[in-house]
Amino acid sequence: MTYRFTVNPDVCIGCRTCELACAFAHAVAGKPGVSRIYPLDGGFKELWVPVVCLQCEEAACVKSCLVDALKRNPETGAIELNQEKCVRCMACIAACPFGCSLLDRQHNQVVKCDLCGGDPVCAHFCPTKALQYKPIEAGKVKVSA
Amino acid sequence: MVRLTINGKLVQAAEGEMLLSVIRREKIDIPALCHHEAVEPYGACRLCMVEITRPEWDGWANFVTSCLYPVEENLIVSTHSPKVIELRKTIVDLFLACHPNTPEIIQLAADYGVTHTSYEEVPEPDDCILCGLCTRICETMGFKAISAVGRGHGKEIAPPLGEAPPDCVGCLACAQNCPTHFIKFSDRNGVRRIWEKDFELMACSRCGRKTITREFAESLSAGRDIPMEYFEICDDCHRMETSRTMGRIANWSREVQP
Repeated sequence: MTYRFTVNPDVCIGCRTCELACAFAHAVAGKPGVSRIYPLDGGFKELWVPVVCLQCEEAACVKSCLVDALKRNPETGAIELNQEKCVRCMACIAACPFGCSLLDRQHNQVVKCDLCGGDPVCAHFCPTKALQYKPIEAGKVKVSA
Repeated sequence: MVRLTINGKLVQAAEGEMLLSVIRREKIDIPALCHHEAVEPYGACRLCMVEITRPEWDGWANFVTSCLYPVEENLIVSTHSPKVIELRKTIVDLFLACHPNTPEIIQLAADYGVTHTSYEEVPEPDDCILCGLCTRICETMGFKAISAVGRGHGKEIAPPLGEAPPDCVGCLACAQNCPTHFIKFSDRNGVRRIWEKDFELMACSRCGRKTITREFAESLSAGRDIPMEYFEICDDCHRMETSRTMGRIANWSREVQP
């Protein structure tokens, strides 16, 4: 994994463009799908937090899946859901402590962020770069304030 | 890598892969009711039958269930040859004789031009096609709460001894994947009822929304090492909580570095 998806609530303006971009990127049969990203205000004023799956190292969703439908893609580092294998027991939805495994009620299936297969659309559309997908330089992993 | 021909197109497949997976990957639509990627293939419904032949077979062909047939080098597969269509028509005809009132079967039969069965209809039809998908999924998930009981005409899917299954946790995987929606359940007043067993649905400690049964949460918590408190809040409230925590951190960093 040479790229990392970063979320910086400090510069998020709550325009919800990411939500729109996500819904259109995951459109089903020409209709907008369920957004995997939720910009919420967390009860604060003038502060927005885009809540999205952070692809946990030791993920509760992967642990909870009894049929191994959730697997990490070694190329992108994203935990991807194999829809063919999913038995829709909804265990991952209940298990995720961040609430980022979602139920698509219209199609009765589980959806989660897969980093768009290595090119997250939301990061392209974020006007303030609160969402970024940037390369990690070896030995220079810096946590932004 | 194995190379084979499907409907005249040369395709590649991995060693040991089943024909049906390759056919589906090639976006060729053939029916299959008992197939699911999460479980071992079973070959119960027979609908995924295809015609296979090889160059050295001198024009002879064989019919196999593609879900159970591993790919072979130089295999020639036809999924919609007149003989396969005729065979599939017979299978849906038989299905229609056993399940004349099942919407999924009626639709499938109509797709193959069968509106009335040419066999005698069974006296008391139900919607269960005995494909065993529910029992296989239950077994794969490690619960083994239901199984096929009896044989011949008396065969049915049921919990042991016909009583409320002690190993069932109410995850609904059987009902969600039943190809004919035969398995019924209800969620009423915080109680889920399936296989004649009642389960308590855990209410979210914030908003009260009920999502998962206590038995399922407890079995996941114990078997998969997931803290029980993860299950006490619903996914909506979990997202709210995440935004609150991350917001607090962002607020704090603003105060420290104005």
